[in-house]
Amino acid sequence: MAPDHTPAPPLVFTPRPSAPPPPSTVGVMGWLRANLFSSVPNAILTLLGAYILYVFLEAIISWALINAVWDAPNRRACLDAVGRSGACWPGVIAWLPNLIYGLYPKDQVWRIDLGALILVLWALPLFLPRVKSKVAIGLTAVLVYPFLVSYLFLGGEKGWIWMVLVAGSLATFFWVWLTAISEMRTGQGFIPLLVHTLAGPDPVPERARLVRQLAWAALFVTALLIVSRWQLVAVPTRLWGGLFLTMVISGIGITFSLPAGVLLALGRRSSMPLIRGFCVAFIELFRSVPLITILFMFNTMLPLFLPVGVEVDRLLRAIVAVCLFAAAYMAEIVRGGLQAIPKGQYEAAAAMGLGYWQSTTLIILPQALRIMIPAIVGNFIGLFKDTTLVSIIGLFDMLSMARAVGEDTRWLGLFIEPFFFITMIYFVFCFAMSQYSMNLERRLGGGQRR
Amino acid sequence: MTTPAIELVGVSKWYGGFQALKEINLSIAERERVVVCGPSGSGKSTMIRCVNQLERHQRGDIRIHGRAFGGGARDDEAIRRETGMVFQSFNLFPHMTVLENCTFALTWVKQMPEAEAKRIAMSHLERVRIPEQALKYPLQLSGGQQQRVAIARALCMQPRIMLFDEPTSALDPEMIKEVLDVMVELANTGMTMVVVTHEMGFARQVADRVVFMDQGEVVEQAPPEEFFANPRYDRTRMFLSQIL
Repeated sequence: MAPDHTPAPPLVFTPRPSAPPPPSTVGVMGWLRANLFSSVPNAILTLLGAYILYVFLEAIISWALINAVWDAPNRRACLDAVGRSGACWPGVIAWLPNLIYGLYPKDQVWRIDLGALILVLWALPLFLPRVKSKVAIGLTAVLVYPFLVSYLFLGGEKGWIWMVLVAGSLATFFWVWLTAISEMRTGQGFIPLLVHTLAGPDPVPERARLVRQLAWAALFVTALLIVSRWQLVAVPTRLWGGLFLTMVISGIGITFSLPAGVLLALGRRSSMPLIRGFCVAFIELFRSVPLITILFMFNTMLPLFLPVGVEVDRLLRAIVAVCLFAAAYMAEIVRGGLQAIPKGQYEAAAAMGLGYWQSTTLIILPQALRIMIPAIVGNFIGLFKDTTLVSIIGLFDMLSMARAVGEDTRWLGLFIEPFFFITMIYFVFCFAMSQYSMNLERRLGGGQRR
Repeated sequence: MTTPAIELVGVSKWYGGFQALKEINLSIAERERVVVCGPSGSGKSTMIRCVNQLERHQRGDIRIHGRAFGGGARDDEAIRRETGMVFQSFNLFPHMTVLENCTFALTWVKQMPEAEAKRIAMSHLERVRIPEQALKYPLQLSGGQQQRVAIARALCMQPRIMLFDEPTSALDPEMIKEVLDVMVELANTGMTMVVVTHEMGFARQVADRVVFMDQGEVVEQAPPEEFFANPRYDRTRMFLSQIL
């Protein structure tokens, strides 16, 4: 019989299904075992840690809440009631308006609240779904809102320049909300909607432009009518203080430092020697000097260089100093991010015919900024806390206001409680910033993890 | 005689004191498919990157369809747009979807309305057979898929010349074929192509001419049958014996 030469049929490879993990590695018990009680020394450390945590928390809670005094006319009364075993909160409560608003006149404090409210309202459309003009709204919040709010805070006699600026920014604020509402309801921006209804669906360009101009003029005139009725009492900046001042300085510092830092970083990588030289000199100069020194320089030396009679507001000097300092730091962070982008990205953009600014703003920066978020927000948090240094040149930020509590004759020597309180405030703000940055990272990182 | 698609006349390039290209003369006709090969460091990548001026040459002339580079940034960008390039490492933009990678330059460089850009992009994604991946991000795709997206992205700009710089060198063996298939199809449409590669099978199948480079010079060039059957130089023989 002839041997069978047909080859054996090929074996069929079927991958086997994955088995479930061993039960001791999953669930709460698995987590506890893996992280807290993986070995005897680890278990001892865990128990020790838990004990220390308990001792601290127990001490803090009993001081701040359980033994604390909530109602007393002065510190003496607190001490008589509980001694040093409990916190004396009435001092902090009595000083609360000052901790938040500084020495801002009490009957004018509503202006600060209103300013904060407008900021929230201005930024709110950025978080609403279906609003499409988010970039434009975000830009106006950064570029236009400051004019409105600085008059609101400063007050005083309005020249016509102020009048136009304030009315213009108020008109922009109207535009922001009209746009947001009409985009949510009709999917079309406010001005395009007006053009559509007044000039027809396919209008002649001249007619469309006319409608657009009329719409803006109407917004502006409405705003001007409102603004011309306002007459706010002038509040000089030496009365500004507390959390309010901290927010003003760090807010301006933060919004200025990011764009300025990006420009400086790009300039430092530029092939043009003059621009590069300037950027390197600026960055290195401001990074090699402590912020406190820069604040002193701006406060005491700047007036010497200015012509007689020109006086720059003390707060403005501090803000400029903080901005320049923060920009220099931000520039180096951004440079680090730019360096992390592979050369191939520049080349691919160039090979597709994109110019320098297009490839930088559309390809490189979006990627670089995303990987830089932790460092940038870290810098923002640092800046927020660094503003406490302005107390050194005689501005009353939140820290100096907290110190003032213990110098008040009624609350003489009451230092721990106000400091504890502002520590909490700083913590809330910084923690919120850091949480927001993590949230931002998660949202922007979708599907792009390397 | 018609103007060549690409013309290099006495092109030299130095990196510091090292001369990477030594007076290269090369002329590539329209619709011609040229495969460039050679050992690493032979200057083949530098040469192809000079063709669209990702690297600037220091002496000699490079002309694309008769227009020479070096007449100002604006002009150079316009000339560069005649070429599309595919890189060894894909270089897709990771923060954009596949579709956005393709439409992006159309809307920003060519100022095209979004709907039309999308239509063009989808037609090219279909051509490289991955329209179903359009809404994914590049890093969710395999290497072979990414490289096909890169080809589609370059084609969207409607270049008259396609440059490939080692398009399959970063790919797993199983994925090389799907990319080469797309390139063969592209060659069949009559696109002018310059391909730096070591895929000699591809050279045999589609090239009109194989150019062999070493030490920054073109050693020899010939149609593939002749190039593989009887290379004239010992250096070429040695190279071929190493890789075949």
